[in-house]
Formats: sequence, structure tokens, C-alpha cells
Amino acid sequence: MKTVYLVCATGIATSSMLRVKVLDYLESKGIEVEVFQYRVAEMFPERIKADVIVSTTSMPPEIEENFTVVSGLPLLTGIGEDETFEAIAKALTD
Amino acid sequence: MEAILIQIGELLGSLGPLIVLPVVITILGLILGMKFTQALRSGLTLAIAFVGIFLTVGLLGENMAAIGNAFAERTGTGLDVIDIGWPAASALAFGTPVGNAIIPIGIVLNVLLIFLGLTKTLDVDMWNFWHQAFIGAVVTFVTGSFALGLFAAAVTVVMAIFLADWSQPLIEKYFKLPGISFPHLQSVGYMLLAAPFAWLLNRVPFLKNLKLDPDTIRKRLGILGEPIFLGLFIGVILAALARQSLVDIILTGINVGAVMLLIPRMVGILMEGLSPVADAARKFMQKKAKGREIYIGLDSAVLIGSPAVIASGLLMIPVEIGLALLLAPLGNRTLPFIDLADGVFVTAMIAPLVAGDVLLTVILGGIVMGVGLIGASLLAPAVTDMVASAGSIDIPAGYTNYTVMSDGAIPHSYIFYFFFRSPVFIAIALSLVFLVVHYFLAKKPLTEAFLGVKEEEPKKKK
Repeated sequence: MKTVYLVCATGIATSSMLRVKVLDYLESKGIEVEVFQYRVAEMFPERIKADVIVSTTSMPPEIEENFTVVSGLPLLTGIGEDETFEAIAKALTD
Repeated sequence: MEAILIQIGELLGSLGPLIVLPVVITILGLILGMKFTQALRSGLTLAIAFVGIFLTVGLLGENMAAIGNAFAERTGTGLDVIDIGWPAASALAFGTPVGNAIIPIGIVLNVLLIFLGLTKTLDVDMWNFWHQAFIGAVVTFVTGSFALGLFAAAVTVVMAIFLADWSQPLIEKYFKLPGISFPHLQSVGYMLLAAPFAWLLNRVPFLKNLKLDPDTIRKRLGILGEPIFLGLFIGVILAALARQSLVDIILTGINVGAVMLLIPRMVGILMEGLSPVADAARKFMQKKAKGREIYIGLDSAVLIGSPAVIASGLLMIPVEIGLALLLAPLGNRTLPFIDLADGVFVTAMIAPLVAGDVLLTVILGGIVMGVGLIGASLLAPAVTDMVASAGSIDIPAGYTNYTVMSDGAIPHSYIFYFFFRSPVFIAIALSLVFLVVHYFLAKKPLTEAFLGVKEEEPKKKK
């Protein structure tokens, strides 16, 4: 099963908003995933096991360079949601 | 009108949040066009989250109150007020009568402000109305009036929206986030207090040359970014200072770690319940505001990935503890605890005031939190009352006190506390004058030129 990390400042606030929307979307596409929520301050490259990281905040450069990171901001603002969902799905099906 | 409000307040208070919140949220969801089962699921999830939150807040009370009292007695510091942290405080605030009503009020006020052309900010971050609910609860506690609490909460909703407009250009430039603003009373309130000091510090040439490297700090202190380790450290250190037995020292460390992990998990459930309603509200408001130039108002959590914010946020941990001890003779009674984990919310909107200079950000954060600790101490009776009303903690008479460092430190929290200790008409007049000040701030947004920030190489953001 593929793994999705949802990351925000607290690991609970905006990432929980993402959780509902991302899970709904992936379910509708029939993509099964395991989801974990983290705080951005807990992100150390050696410990990450994710197929895609969706983050509502910017990630440290060492993470951006080594992992597939999708900005979750559009899911909060509602502007560009579809593209974001597609990017997440693409990262999980490739 | 007053009489009706009093009755509504009493009714909400007697039913309690477990009944009122799901009803309010379900009805709100239906008005916003959600399907009945969806809306009900949201309301129910919220209520169940509250059950979990109250359970875990009870855990916090039992374990931490003992250590707080021992700490105050054994060290002679007088720090006998425990910081319960924002996750618990947010739930307590939403659970008050003002908190039950705040989300619909916030949405209506925001839509109204946009229609009147008074703001460009469309606040889609329902969650953070809890800060205003908190202030409303404090005012209700001080005055005994639900109506005045509601008034204070409504006024501060408008203030946060005005401050979002005021800070928007600077935040957009620094974080490269176009079209977004931050009506998050906590961070933007800190920013308001820090701004004049930033103006001053940016003109001191010597300070600017002491560069601290954010990446080094982040890597060295990174482990403190994990709540369970931070909880262990803080618990062990404070219990050791309180001269507990070795077993108790270790147990305290584990218990504080538990509190730091468990309460947020419960709050996460609350967020999941709120999320679909917030989404429906956002769509509703965006439809209403169609064709206007707007900023989408978000949680300042979005800003926290920036290395300067994380580094200075981690440095706030020792600074806050040091300040608490240092300011004890000046009236501080707050023992920083759970909110130590979230120094990043202090620094998120302060860092741009000084172009992300870590040292200057920490100095400004220190000023804000120094005043804030004393503010939080003043609010302790109000917070203790909220904790007691939640029914989960037995509070020994006149002894244990609780506060919440993060929200007690928001200037608006202690300013409204002072306002409403005056006679009602003076309090209302002062609130309205303060509101007008915010209006003029919104008209004249903050610029780098005013702050004297030198043009720095901007932060990389994809």
C-alpha cells in the first residue's frame, strides 16, 4: 500500500483538514493508502517513508529535493484544488 | 434584547457543548448547503472529539497540577499557574457559550465587512475563531455577561480581519504567498505588538551583524520539535527542580509527553469534524464575494515551514522559561509548559518584520512573550473557571490555577480583560476606539520601507 504524509505546523490543525479531503478524493479514485500526519519540525529525511508528502507549509530544502512534495495550500484556499488532487494521484499511481 | 441574550447564554451554558455544538454545526452545515447526513456527521464528530478532549484534559489536570504546586513551593519562584496549552484551551473556548455561537457570527461579520468594502480578507479558517471565543469567555468571566462576551468576541473577529489586511503585503512579500492573508488573531496579534519594536531594532546596526544560522539551529534543536521528546525534557527538568523522587521525575516526563501527544490527537478529530463545514462555508463565502479582489484568510500554521520561523521558534523554548523565572518578581505566575511546543506560532509573523533575522526574531518574540506571560497570569482565574466548567477537573479551592500561555499572551486577550474591568460603558467605548485604530491600520498596510528592513535575498519558496 502506498503511503501519504500530511504535514503542517502542528500535525493536527491544517493537516486534519487535508486528511478529510485527500481521503475522500483517493477513495473516489479507488486508490488505497496509508495516511500519517506529522509536524513539519519532525521531518527528517532519513526517517521519511512516503510516496507523496502533502504539506500546507513550505518544507525544508533537503526534503523538497529528495521526496515528492505537493503543496496542500490549494486544498485550503479552494483555488486550484483539482490540479492538486491530480498531482497527488499521479504521485501515487506512477 | 439583553434579556433574550442572557437567556440564550444560560441555555447554552446548561446544555453544554456536547449537545449545543453538534446542533449548531449541523444546522450551519444545512444552511451552507451540505447534505443532512454529512452535516450531522460533522456535528457528531465534533461532539465526540469533545468527549475525548475533556478526558485528556482531566489527565493533564491531575498530573500537572501536582507538579506545578510542588514546583512553586520547592523553588520559591511563585510560578504556581500551569500553562495548559492551546490544544486544550481551544476546546475549552469552543465549549463556552460564546464559543458555541462564534462560528456563525464570524462568517456573518466577515461577509458583511466584504460587502461594505471594509476588508479584502475572506477568512476561511473557521477553526481559529476559538481565539475570539477565548476572549469572549474571559470577558464573560470578568463581567458575568454573555452579551458582553459575545460583543468582545465579535469586535475581535473584526480586528483580526483588519490586521490581516494590515499585514498582508509584508507577509506576501516575505513568504511569497500571493492572495493569502492571515486573520489569525494569535500570530497577527503578536505581530502588532512586535511591529514598533521591530521598527526600532531594524535601526540598530550592531544587532543585525550577529547572524544566527537557521539551519544549524534547526538541526541541533530538531529533537525538541517532537512533542513527546519535548514533553519528556520539560517534565523531567521541572520535576527535578521541584525535587521529586526519581520515579516521579520519570513519570512526570512521560505524563507531559502523553499530554503533548494525546490532547492534540483529540483536537485532530475535532478538526476532521469541522473540516467539511469549513469547506462548505468557504464555498458559500467565495460565491458571495465573487468578482471582488479578495485575500483568502488562512491559519498562520501555513507560514511555519520557513527555516527562520522554525529555528527561532525552537529558541523560544529556553527564552520563555527564562523569562518566566526572570519576570516572577514583576507579577508573572505562569509556568510555561504545553505551549512551549509551539513557539513557531510566536515567530511565524514576527520573522518577516526583521527579514527573517533569527536573533532579532527571538528578541521580539521575547518582548511579546514577556508581556504575555504577565497577561497570561492575569487571565488565570478566567481560564481556571473554564477548566472547572468543563467538568473534568476538580480544582482545590483557591489553590491550583491554570492558564494558557499562547492565548494569554495575545495582546487582545489582556487588553480586553483590562477594558472590561472598567464600567460597561467605558469598556464598550474603549473597545470601539481600539476597533477604529485597527480600521486605520488596515487602511495603511505595513511596508518594509516603514519597518526599515533591508532588502535581503528572499527565501526560496517553490
